[in-house]
Amino acid sequence: MKDAKWTWRGVSLISALATLLLIAGFVYAVGDIINPQGEALTGSLPQATTAPEAAAADELKILALGDSLAKGTGDNSGSGFVRRALDGLTQGGAKAGLLGNMGINGLTTAGLQTKLQEEGVQYALRQANVVLVSIGGNDLFRGSDILGNGTGVQAGEAAGTAEIPADNPEGSASTVQPTGVLDGKSDTLVTSTPKPGEDELTPEALLSALPEAAKRLGEILETIAEINPQAQVYYVGLYNPFGDIEDLLVPGNQAVTAWNNAAMDIINTHSNMTLVPTFDLFNRHLDKYLSSDHFHPNGDGYQRISERIVQAIR
Amino acid sequence: MTNLLPLIRNECTKIIKKKRFYVILLILLVLVPMFTYAQMRVAERSRDKFNSDWRLEIQQRITDNQNSLSSDRIPEEWKSYRRIFIQQLQYYLDHDVNPNEPSGVTFTREFLDNSVSLFIPLLIMAVASDLVSGERTTGTIKMLLTRPVKRWKVLFSKLAALLMFVSLIVLSVFVISYLISGLAFGYKGFNIPVFTGFQLSGDTVDMSGVHSVPQWKYLLMQGGLIWFVSVVVALLAFMVSVLVRSTAASIVVMMAALIAGSILTNMAAAWSTAKYLFMVNLGLTGYLAGTPAPIEGMTLPFSLAVLSVWGLAAIIISFAVFTKRDILN
Repeated sequence: MKDAKWTWRGVSLISALATLLLIAGFVYAVGDIINPQGEALTGSLPQATTAPEAAAADELKILALGDSLAKGTGDNSGSGFVRRALDGLTQGGAKAGLLGNMGINGLTTAGLQTKLQEEGVQYALRQANVVLVSIGGNDLFRGSDILGNGTGVQAGEAAGTAEIPADNPEGSASTVQPTGVLDGKSDTLVTSTPKPGEDELTPEALLSALPEAAKRLGEILETIAEINPQAQVYYVGLYNPFGDIEDLLVPGNQAVTAWNNAAMDIINTHSNMTLVPTFDLFNRHLDKYLSSDHFHPNGDGYQRISERIVQAIR
Repeated sequence: MTNLLPLIRNECTKIIKKKRFYVILLILLVLVPMFTYAQMRVAERSRDKFNSDWRLEIQQRITDNQNSLSSDRIPEEWKSYRRIFIQQLQYYLDHDVNPNEPSGVTFTREFLDNSVSLFIPLLIMAVASDLVSGERTTGTIKMLLTRPVKRWKVLFSKLAALLMFVSLIVLSVFVISYLISGLAFGYKGFNIPVFTGFQLSGDTVDMSGVHSVPQWKYLLMQGGLIWFVSVVVALLAFMVSVLVRSTAASIVVMMAALIAGSILTNMAAAWSTAKYLFMVNLGLTGYLAGTPAPIEGMTLPFSLAVLSVWGLAAIIISFAVFTKRDILN
């Protein structure tokens, strides 16, 4: 009987204390949630470039930046050229690690510029010593949309970190409406489809976006070099995804070549940057190396790009 | 006027003697190590992938979520959930605070966040569903009511004992998950800052109210909210156990309600009247963490009001029925 008495005392005491504590927590929580007191928070990411000097010699720390190609859209295995290049390097005996893949579907040069302002991206850049960049395809092939209706590009540019212009890899009927694949916003997709006249990719349309986009590309590479001067930057050149559509073969090739030349001009001014060409890989082999969305490479296509990258890095 | 205290003591002794509470402790002792192990594997994997640099990992998570925003197949509500999530991660990253700093305290915090709407209510039910219906199943209710004690006092003593055990259960969930996860992640971490005060309006997060709280304070606030949820669940389970004759039926009724709640929170965004159901409002800790409410228009005062109304109604019905009803067999 004495035992039961002590159990009762213990249980009642503990539960009374626990109840008081929990009620106090409850009152505090309700007050805190209903009237949150904001405070100025300091503290930012470490600014020092820690890794590159230390381990630059033997270990490759790879960071990928850019659009859906960097992300690997279209590759059924999900690897993309980034992971494939990593595998290739490792098989070749190099010590390589992937720091991160910051590729975002539908990213344009303008989008990448805003992204490079983010502290987290800058931090990742500072840790890397190999930076793979793929950008520009969305600027170039969206050119027709810029002419057609200005809203599409404005929305894309206005979108900051909160809303990222998206592309639509599984876009409907990609062969019929090439821009439908590239076009990020579903609303612009809707508004542009009823007016097929505007969807034609003319050489002028493709080239119209070029000067400004090329200027932004220059700024992007400049920024990367500023953030991490030690890193080797590999820019993946563009290919023409519309080479199998007769009307688009020549203008597409011209536009892509113009872009690649512009990129080459910029890259040649930096000592630690390399352009990895892909134009020749895909020209006349689109049926083999493009995925079903008719814009992104498939696994084999990515494999070929990655082989080029491995050759460039080693 | 018989004193209530001996009655409460009697009810407490009954609960202890029935060993329900030990069963609850046993469940915790079995399940928490499992969750800890799973969490440990997750931590190990991310350590391999990101060279144990949490900043890179957070940045990758942000990128991955941004990518998923572009898919047309993802429902709009999930997208806005992810947009909010991205902004919060970005906030943590910008202020150089690791939201998932591995420690026993962090594990406890996350475990509680995940268990508030189903697991803890289930444990509460294990005690509450049995209180009155159990007496009827075994027939001891007649013995109880033939004593010269008013019926409301009998019921009140049961209720008081139940509330005591609610506090004990919440406390033991805390203590056990901290002690066990501490073995794997270390017992430190009470002073890690956690951000709270994210105010959500639609897709955007208002950061003006955000402030950092040491983790122990956060746990205290969580505990308070969980306690409130548990009390309401206890009251409802208590009512059901008064209304229903057998313990099994009373457990099934409450289980069905809770599981319906967890299903509804996942898909009820279109049916906005569902927000008046108690089981949709159980996730109070979400308001603390800044996760969007399952249905638009739900806020902490709203959820508290809904839960209070349900709880009060449960008390009134329990007492009204118990004092009036004939006990036949």
